[in-house]
Amino acid sequence: MTASALREIRSSFGRFMAILSIIALGVGFFTGVRITTPAMVNTVGGFMTDHELFDYRIISTLGWEDKDVDKLKEREDVRAAEGAYALDLLCLDEEGEEHVFKTHSLTDDVNRPDILEGRLPKDAGECVIDGKTAFKVGDKLTVSETENTEDALDGFKPRELTVVGRIYSPAYVHFERGTTSLGSGSVTGYIYLNEADFDMDVYTELYIKLDHELDVYSDEYKDYMSEREGSWEEAAEAQAQDRYERIVSEAEEELNSGREELDSAREEGRQELDSAREELDSAKEELDSAAEKLKEAEKEIADGEKEIADNEKKLSDAKAQLDNAGSTLASGKAQLDSGWVQLEAGRKELEKNEKALTDGEKELKTAQKQIDEGLAQIKTAEKQLDGQQKELEEQQTAFMKENGAYFEMIDMLPTEQEMQLNGAKAQFEQGLGQIEAARKELGQKKAELSAGQKELDGKKKELDTAKEKLSAGRAEYEKNLAAYYASAGQYESGRAQYNSGRAEYNSGKAQLEDGKSELEKGRREYEDGKAEYEDGKKKYEDGEQEYEDGLTEFDEEIADAEKELADGEQELRDLEAPDIFLLDRNTNIGYACFKNDSEIVAQVARVFPIFFILVAALVCMTTMSRMVEERRTLIGTLKALGYSERAIMRRFTFYAGSAAMIGCVLGYGVGTVLFPRVIWMTYKLMYIELDIKYLFDVKLAVIAAAVSLLCSVGAAWLSCRYELAETAAELMRPKAPKAGKRVLLEHVPFIWNRMKFLHKVSVRNIFRYKKRLFMMILGISGCTALLLTGFGIKDSVGDFAVVQYEEIVTADASVSYKAEDDGTVPAELSQKLGDIGADYACVYSASWDLVKKDLTKSMSVVAPEDFSQLEGSMNFIDTDGSKLTAPVGDEALVSVSVAERYNVKKGDEIELRDENMRTLHFTVKDIFDNHVYNYVFVSHDEVERQLGERADLNEMYVNFKSGKDVHEAQAEIGKLDSVTNVTLYEDFKKRMTDSMSSLDYVVLLVIVSAAGLAFIVLYNLTNINITEREREIATIKVLGFFKNETAAYVLRENIFLTALGIAVGLGLGVILHRFVMAQIVVDLVSFKVRILPRSYLFSIALTFLFNLAVNFFMESKLEKINMAESLKSVE
Amino acid sequence: MSAFVEFKNVRKTYKTGEVEIHALRDASFEIEKGEFCVIVGASGAGKTTILNILGGMDTLTSGSVKLDGKEISTLGKKDLTAYRRYDIGFVFQFYNLVQNLTAKENVELAAQICKDPLDAEQVLKQVGLGERMKNFPAQLSGGEQQRVAIARALAKNPKLLLCDEPTGALDYNTGKAVLKLLQDTCRKNGMTVVVITHNSALAAMADRIITVKSGTVESMVLNKDIVDVEDIEW
Repeated sequence: MTASALREIRSSFGRFMAILSIIALGVGFFTGVRITTPAMVNTVGGFMTDHELFDYRIISTLGWEDKDVDKLKEREDVRAAEGAYALDLLCLDEEGEEHVFKTHSLTDDVNRPDILEGRLPKDAGECVIDGKTAFKVGDKLTVSETENTEDALDGFKPRELTVVGRIYSPAYVHFERGTTSLGSGSVTGYIYLNEADFDMDVYTELYIKLDHELDVYSDEYKDYMSEREGSWEEAAEAQAQDRYERIVSEAEEELNSGREELDSAREEGRQELDSAREELDSAKEELDSAAEKLKEAEKEIADGEKEIADNEKKLSDAKAQLDNAGSTLASGKAQLDSGWVQLEAGRKELEKNEKALTDGEKELKTAQKQIDEGLAQIKTAEKQLDGQQKELEEQQTAFMKENGAYFEMIDMLPTEQEMQLNGAKAQFEQGLGQIEAARKELGQKKAELSAGQKELDGKKKELDTAKEKLSAGRAEYEKNLAAYYASAGQYESGRAQYNSGRAEYNSGKAQLEDGKSELEKGRREYEDGKAEYEDGKKKYEDGEQEYEDGLTEFDEEIADAEKELADGEQELRDLEAPDIFLLDRNTNIGYACFKNDSEIVAQVARVFPIFFILVAALVCMTTMSRMVEERRTLIGTLKALGYSERAIMRRFTFYAGSAAMIGCVLGYGVGTVLFPRVIWMTYKLMYIELDIKYLFDVKLAVIAAAVSLLCSVGAAWLSCRYELAETAAELMRPKAPKAGKRVLLEHVPFIWNRMKFLHKVSVRNIFRYKKRLFMMILGISGCTALLLTGFGIKDSVGDFAVVQYEEIVTADASVSYKAEDDGTVPAELSQKLGDIGADYACVYSASWDLVKKDLTKSMSVVAPEDFSQLEGSMNFIDTDGSKLTAPVGDEALVSVSVAERYNVKKGDEIELRDENMRTLHFTVKDIFDNHVYNYVFVSHDEVERQLGERADLNEMYVNFKSGKDVHEAQAEIGKLDSVTNVTLYEDFKKRMTDSMSSLDYVVLLVIVSAAGLAFIVLYNLTNINITEREREIATIKVLGFFKNETAAYVLRENIFLTALGIAVGLGLGVILHRFVMAQIVVDLVSFKVRILPRSYLFSIALTFLFNLAVNFFMESKLEKINMAESLKSVE
Repeated sequence: MSAFVEFKNVRKTYKTGEVEIHALRDASFEIEKGEFCVIVGASGAGKTTILNILGGMDTLTSGSVKLDGKEISTLGKKDLTAYRRYDIGFVFQFYNLVQNLTAKENVELAAQICKDPLDAEQVLKQVGLGERMKNFPAQLSGGEQQRVAIARALAKNPKLLLCDEPTGALDYNTGKAVLKLLQDTCRKNGMTVVVITHNSALAAMADRIITVKSGTVESMVLNKDIVDVEDIEW
């Protein structure tokens, strides 16, 4: 029997394989999809468990101290309890880029990091960094001194950080790192440092790890936690209360000591001030007396000056008198002197006259004598002349006598003698002339002497009159001389008088000079004294000012201190029992997100596999019933030979069962390995990138085996039972062929009559076998639906960013900036934008929490300055495509993701709350289409009105001129000091699209599965169709149908059925796609649920392609059908 | 002038592994146009092989086969199909009607692939099924089904009508009626009809009787006293 069963398998290997592969495909898909979620949970959850993810994170508004940690650690179900510090820190990387890090202190036994590279920090300033970031070991970070909060800078010691390791933290399995109020608001990642690097008074959080090894997300864990929730809440509350009381008593003590301190300080201050006052007062007195003295001195000086002035006047009067007297004296003297001169002149005249007289007398006498002598001389001279003449004449006579001869011969004499002779003759003549001249002269002189005698006589008479006059003059002179002497005596006495006056004046003058210099000296002294006084006064005034200042300072300080004390008291009074938050793992983004995301696959796993199982069951059913039909004669023979029904049945159940079991094992093996791997490939981009763990699920394997056995063996059993009911004789007769039937379409002659004959044949054939028709449509439509869903997922998920940034947000960039103090756009920014030629619209943008009764969810609240400016930057479109108008007053536009996920409807009241617990209330006006981020758009005026204060515009949507290099513009704008962040939506779009491109694997998986499904179904059914109609096909071949006509005759049905299947599949696909999309929930993103026309085309084309491939396969099979079959009898 | 159908030294050898089976050995015969020819032989004598070769369903190993002067032994697959399609009409032992088609449609199925088909309804009337044209095969008796099969073969307007045990699945009377129809077709339409049967009784009604035995033609005789179908007994 076994041998014949194996032979049976060998002889119909195609059929065996059909069952095997459809079971393998069904089981593979079913188990693969089913195991994916558990495998992912096992991988990530295992990581969390292994690395001791906290069970509770307890936060108190007052923080925690070691005492609290220790106290909670004492509880019996605690494995570890540790306090930790956490803060947001803005750092600059080596390129100067800003990054905000969630900064934590390392804990030993909770949230243990998984080191990917490097080591844990040892020294101060060493950190391990988020393994999802691009930072490397050895990178340096600088803590920004300007951008961080003061609290953060106070509480965090290092200013330079060195990355020593890259880690995954169980608290951050998701790539989402939350938001921050620092920098651009986005968090780059997290870093962990040693506790010693923090400088905070209290732990910001307290982590508890309970003593259990329960699986994450498991019901056991849920129960375990809910059992403990109440008691833990109480414990945390009690511990917080304890901490509160400690704080209160400490604060009271502090306040008391503060008060005492204040009192003593006040006393001290008072005393100091008082002594200062005294000092000042005595200084003032001194100053006053000095001032008096100065005044006196001033008066003295004035008196002295007056005296001096008086004396000066007197002196100058005296001087005038003296000068007068002097001049009188001088004129007297001059008179005297001129008198004297006159006198002297008179006397000299007198003497001259006397002398002249005497001289005249003498002259006269001499002159007489001279005359007398002259006369005597003349007489002698005349005697002499006579003598000389006589002599000369004798000589001449002598000479002439001697030399007269010579004269006759003068011309004959030599020249020399001639001359001597002529000379001597001239001498004689000359001497005789001279005597003659002298005689003449003597005659003249005798005349002269007689004139002189006469003159002399006149003069003798003149002399005598002069003698008389002279004696009269002498007498007058004597009289004048006497008068002069008398005057001279008078002058001398006056002069003496003047001199004594002058002396007197001089001494007075000297005295005055002395007085003057003394006064000068006094005045200088006075000036010095005055200056000194001024200094003193100034010093005093300064002292006074100082005192006043000191006084106000003292008052202020005291007031401040009093206020501080009062504040402290108030604070203490206000200090409420702390709020505590007992946060379990569900509040951890990674934990919660992973739970949701892994559920997506589980949701999808619910529908898809049913489809495959259904198809597999149907395929088994048809195949087995066909097989049983084929073996009808054999069954009859066996039955006739006496085999029991069970034995016969075993033959078929073994056949089906063995195919199913092999298929099941293959399918399970491939499916459970392949599916989790491929799906995790896309998931791990969003989570920590661990290798997926293989998970063997016994239950699932048993279910898979049971279902496949049920399908195959059940089908075999059903078919056999039907056949075995007949008698052996009946069985050995050929089964009456199924009667032909008209189809409904034939009653529509309008269509039917227009159809080609062979098409009519096909149509009738199609509807002849209802079961096959149904299966075919199910298989093909399943294939199309899968393809359409696959492509549709890609369209919806892959392109949501394109829709978002090409249809909804149409601005080029968003720029976050710091407004000027008056709230306006910084000049440098508006100028730069002007230079670049960009349009912009300003908005107020901030993160607010949407508060509903069971959740708080962070939203981006955007309040544009003017909604009309947003035209071209942000388009508000209703989900059905119509344009929305701007909200007015307390109206708000809410993005569709918010509306869908948090159940917010048009007309609802919503409450928003910020970190400072301020609230805003709005009424939802409309829901607008938006795929990235949760937005609430409201009016800016309304925000300010509700807040009661200014809410500065801090972000702008920017549209650049077309053709502008946007990255260049980004860099230019980003350089400005007032700009905190520039985001290019183009980059955003690209990044999101890229990250979603991993979905290609999922789509590929779906396509491959769909192809497999289509191929198996088509192949199997066509195969059955052909073997069933072998005779018919042989007949038409004999009738002379060409190869392709034969193929068309049979396969036309396939094509038609494929078309029908596709039509149904498209409808199914749309529904399936919608269902799957509804399961895929990603935070902050709402997908555009849509299928592009392209995807419809692809799905249709691919289904046809599979169909053609099968047909191609089948054609060769048709070719092999022997025409001799037509001659055989019906079996 | 050669005969209408010429079978000359035809040899057909099947190879099954090492063993060679000679289904036909030097089989030769002729059939003239318009003749009613019966090929008779026991099971395994080779008559089906002759039918297969003559009908263009199988190829021969050696020899020559001509129909209306056309050599068919050298035809390729496609030409053989065309030969079947245009020159041969087939009547099967088990009728081989398409169950899903009505009587008329079965005839049309054959007719619509031919160059010069006869009108399906006309032919059906001719075979006496004017009233049952719209019935499906399952609704017809065996004889009626065979009539439809004959009509299907005739509608193609073939040169040669090949009938493989046309009465094999029919009762005596019906068989006679079918044979009568075939004979009438031959006589009235001048159709060359070849009937292959193991029933030698039928030979009496033939113009030409070819006896096959052990893969070769044992005898070929022209029937001098043709008996009417009604008078044949078996």
